[in-house]
Amino acid sequence: MDKVPVRRVRRKASGSPSAAAALPAAPLDYRPTLLLGSVFVIATCGLIYELIAGTLASYLLGDSVLQFSTIIGAYLFAMGIGSWLSRYLGGSLLRWFIQLEILVGLVGGFSAPLLFLLFEHVSSFRLILYSLVGLTGILVGLEIPLLMRILENRFEFKDLVSRVFTFDYIGALLASLVFPLVLVPQLGLIRTSLLCGALNVVVAGIALYRFPETRPFRRSLGGALAASLLALAVTFGYAGQLQAYTEGLAFQDQVIYTKTTPYQRLVLTKNQRELRLFLNGNLQFSSADEYRYHEALVHPAMQALPKARRVLVLGGGDGLAVRELLKYPQLEHIDLVDLDPGMTRLFQQNQMLLELNQRALLNPKVRVTNADAYQWIRQDTSRYDCIIVDFPDPGNYSIGKLYSAAFYRALEQRLAPGGWAVVQSTSPYVARRSFWCVAHTLEAAGFTTLPYHAYVPSFGEWGFILAGRNSHWRPDAGPLPPGLRYVTPATIRDMRFFPPDMSEVPTEINQLNNQALVRYFEEDWGPYAH
Amino acid sequence: MGSAGLLLAPLAGLHSCAPGSRRSHIRGSMHGANHATGHLLRDPARLPDPTRTEAVEVLIVGGGVAGLTARRELERQGLQPGQVLLVELDEQPGGNSRAGHNGVSAYPWGAHYLPVPDPRNHELLAFLRDAGVITGTDAASDLPIYNEYYLCHDLEERLFIKGHWQNGLVPELGVPPAEKEQIARFFALIEELRQTVGTDGRDAFVIPLEASSQDEQFRRLDEQPFAAWLDEQGFTSPHLRWYFDYSCRDDYGATAAQVSAWAGLHYFAARKGRAHNANGADVLTWPAGNGFLVEQLRRQAQSSIRPDTVAFALHQTPTGLAVDCYDVATKQTTRVTARQVLMATPLFITERLLAGLPAAAHRPLPVHRVPWVVVNLTVEGLPQGPGQPLSWDNVLYGTDSVGYVDAGHQSLSQTDAGARVVTWYRPLSDASPEAARRQAYQTSYDEWVRQALAELETAHHGLTAQVLRADVWVWGHGMVAPTPGFLWGGARAAAARPWQNQLFFAHTDLSGISIFEEGFAQGQRAAREVQAARRPTPA
Repeated sequence: MDKVPVRRVRRKASGSPSAAAALPAAPLDYRPTLLLGSVFVIATCGLIYELIAGTLASYLLGDSVLQFSTIIGAYLFAMGIGSWLSRYLGGSLLRWFIQLEILVGLVGGFSAPLLFLLFEHVSSFRLILYSLVGLTGILVGLEIPLLMRILENRFEFKDLVSRVFTFDYIGALLASLVFPLVLVPQLGLIRTSLLCGALNVVVAGIALYRFPETRPFRRSLGGALAASLLALAVTFGYAGQLQAYTEGLAFQDQVIYTKTTPYQRLVLTKNQRELRLFLNGNLQFSSADEYRYHEALVHPAMQALPKARRVLVLGGGDGLAVRELLKYPQLEHIDLVDLDPGMTRLFQQNQMLLELNQRALLNPKVRVTNADAYQWIRQDTSRYDCIIVDFPDPGNYSIGKLYSAAFYRALEQRLAPGGWAVVQSTSPYVARRSFWCVAHTLEAAGFTTLPYHAYVPSFGEWGFILAGRNSHWRPDAGPLPPGLRYVTPATIRDMRFFPPDMSEVPTEINQLNNQALVRYFEEDWGPYAH
Repeated sequence: MGSAGLLLAPLAGLHSCAPGSRRSHIRGSMHGANHATGHLLRDPARLPDPTRTEAVEVLIVGGGVAGLTARRELERQGLQPGQVLLVELDEQPGGNSRAGHNGVSAYPWGAHYLPVPDPRNHELLAFLRDAGVITGTDAASDLPIYNEYYLCHDLEERLFIKGHWQNGLVPELGVPPAEKEQIARFFALIEELRQTVGTDGRDAFVIPLEASSQDEQFRRLDEQPFAAWLDEQGFTSPHLRWYFDYSCRDDYGATAAQVSAWAGLHYFAARKGRAHNANGADVLTWPAGNGFLVEQLRRQAQSSIRPDTVAFALHQTPTGLAVDCYDVATKQTTRVTARQVLMATPLFITERLLAGLPAAAHRPLPVHRVPWVVVNLTVEGLPQGPGQPLSWDNVLYGTDSVGYVDAGHQSLSQTDAGARVVTWYRPLSDASPEAARRQAYQTSYDEWVRQALAELETAHHGLTAQVLRADVWVWGHGMVAPTPGFLWGGARAAAARPWQNQLFFAHTDLSGISIFEEGFAQGQRAAREVQAARRPTPA
């Protein structure tokens, strides 16, 4: 508390009497006020850079609490370094100040576009992020001490400290309100970043042209200033394309639809040839070859069940398996159970997707239920002639439970006598143990299994397992529907052949209390940086 | 968060955290401290005289695991539901296995798992069969098949050590080789002890502990503290010693220095569970913890359970005993006469109730009872650190608590990645039980929540902001700790003996180890004793 008076005394003692005497001599000088105004802008922009970095980091890296706290910490620490470094700046302080402002404008202004662009290309993105945060912090940290030194002879110290920090904190308040309420919703992160950069450069410009002391270096700095402002303005103009480009970078093609539901992030991309759906960044299908996957999923089971009336589909909210099922006119009822209403709604409403699934989910024979599959099959009491199990790959312990022996025993309760279930079972080539673990788990649950696989170019070799109980299966039990592009009786026979690099290997049974499959899956896909 | 409103619904009696702190948004209930009903017993003279009478054959006082087990067993042995009455002081039975629930999940308030039992424990297995926990028997091995939904799902245990979650609770990460050697030597010794049989042909260590060998070479171990025995055996590794303290505090509420060596070794060497689809290291668990088992015990018998009822005085009558029972709701006292009374209460309660009976009826057994605090945190999410993902049992190395369990662990749903309830346990074992209890009763809601979160924040940065609700239970009288000499000193066995074929005793205080199996065994034994007393003696 007693630090301020001590300092003031010391400063008065060492301060030059002429400077102190100059104070009343310039009562109408508006330039100190101008500099104080620039404190306000600097503070606002400084905090906004910090908020941008925090938002971007949580957006791109996840875990917002961690990202925000480490970004704020790193930023404040860097500001401290900047403040400390300010003592080494001598000579024309105004010149330093203008150079710094231009630099802050460039580094801070381009931080968001740069981070967006680099995210997909740089392996150590965090290093770039924190370097940029550190650099911005150091530059911003230099500004206030420098300004105070410039102003020290124009105000009494107590007024100087009081005014500088007042403007500094008001600027912080303004930034914290304007950033989430106005700037991000109206401009987006990239434009906000560029706008603040431009404001910093404008402050440099005002200082450069309003203070006579700057005459000697006006020409050289003026050029840099104009170039910086131009660069920021041009980038601002192209921000829209930049944003689309950076979002599109995560995906090769143009992103035409994104939606974050409580369960997953859906992204649809399109190029001239195909439409692709990604769930949480994982490819679900490409319209170019999904027919191979869905024909292979549905027809080996269905052709063996010419008398099938009722079918259950678990997962498969895209309606593409249902599209294949609807090729069997004898079917009377199809129950589709998918967790995510965002997914099923998209495939019931989007024109392009309705063309792809041939309005399957709008068919009167189809009942769509948005529910948790495990709970649903334990509560349901009806039986189905065919059950199609099309869950995401067992990439976490929660989904792993949907591939457990306990789940398959519950599934068996829903299967009509003589019926068949089919389970998508990841790639027998990439994840050989995972694939055979699913087969062995189905067997442990009392099923007879018929493993098979198909080549889907977007995915590679993909595996499925037919599971029945006292059921008879033949590759040509009934007629296949007309118009199939991949599955024929001959294809079915081929699909059942496993070359040595995919042939059966011994595995554990996937139980709820060992989750063997998730471990296999992690190890099998690990080398592919899934 | 749609459930947030629901969670905050019962506003009455809601406590809140300190305004201005980072946890100022947290609200919740607080139970146990200054337990109004329980403390009526401190001054029974203030309770009203009986205004009505009631007669039953057998009265059970106390609705914990022992009392509920006895109630079930008496019916199985032929008593009619109308002949048995159970009175319980709390608003619902369950004792240390009580459970709660909110819009997110059911959760335990105390005991929360049962190790896969020894198949020789036939009575317990029969109960589990009736409860649907055992679904069948494997024909080839003759071993029970357990319900997979109740066997603890994978990712069972993890330990937060050196900033990382490792698999399992025995410290491994960054443990020097010399310590690892000791750890390996200890577990080899335990494996041997697990197989060891005494001169009387009984297992050295077994659950329930009454079936353990009487061989002196093992029982001698009860005379010295576990920590002293560990010193003697050269188990000095700091990581291993932490693990022993953790284990003893987890099961007994007391440290390795406070419990006997016999009890310390029993913890490790007595679990001999076998099953067709599980082994001795596996456990059974439910969202409500052992509240599930309590509910099953309750359902497997019909006789009345009268909650909110304080039995406060026993008298001798010409035909048996009379017990004055005060109904907290109607504020009236009923005198219940019974031919047999089974005291399924902790011994400090039993002592108060027997004040009016002759000295021979009394059970003067000093019990070291450790207070506990349990905090149920309903969280929107649990920010994770590096290493093994969220598991059922999550322990933080070197902390005051014994970690937390995830009530949602057995969930089969894909949708509950977000909100969940975690139950944090802390035995207050550093001070003497009396001092700890006094201190605990004076500690505020805010302070308990602060302590729990301060600890959990070290592993889950940002957790505080994600807490939707925190409910606290201070178990002032927690549970018994097997201090040296308690288990096999003789006083314990004497205290469990019935008095005049009228008064019977069943409680884990009389086992010295407070686990479900012991409570169950106590109830079974006492029910058998009651039945034996009721049978006409052959002339």
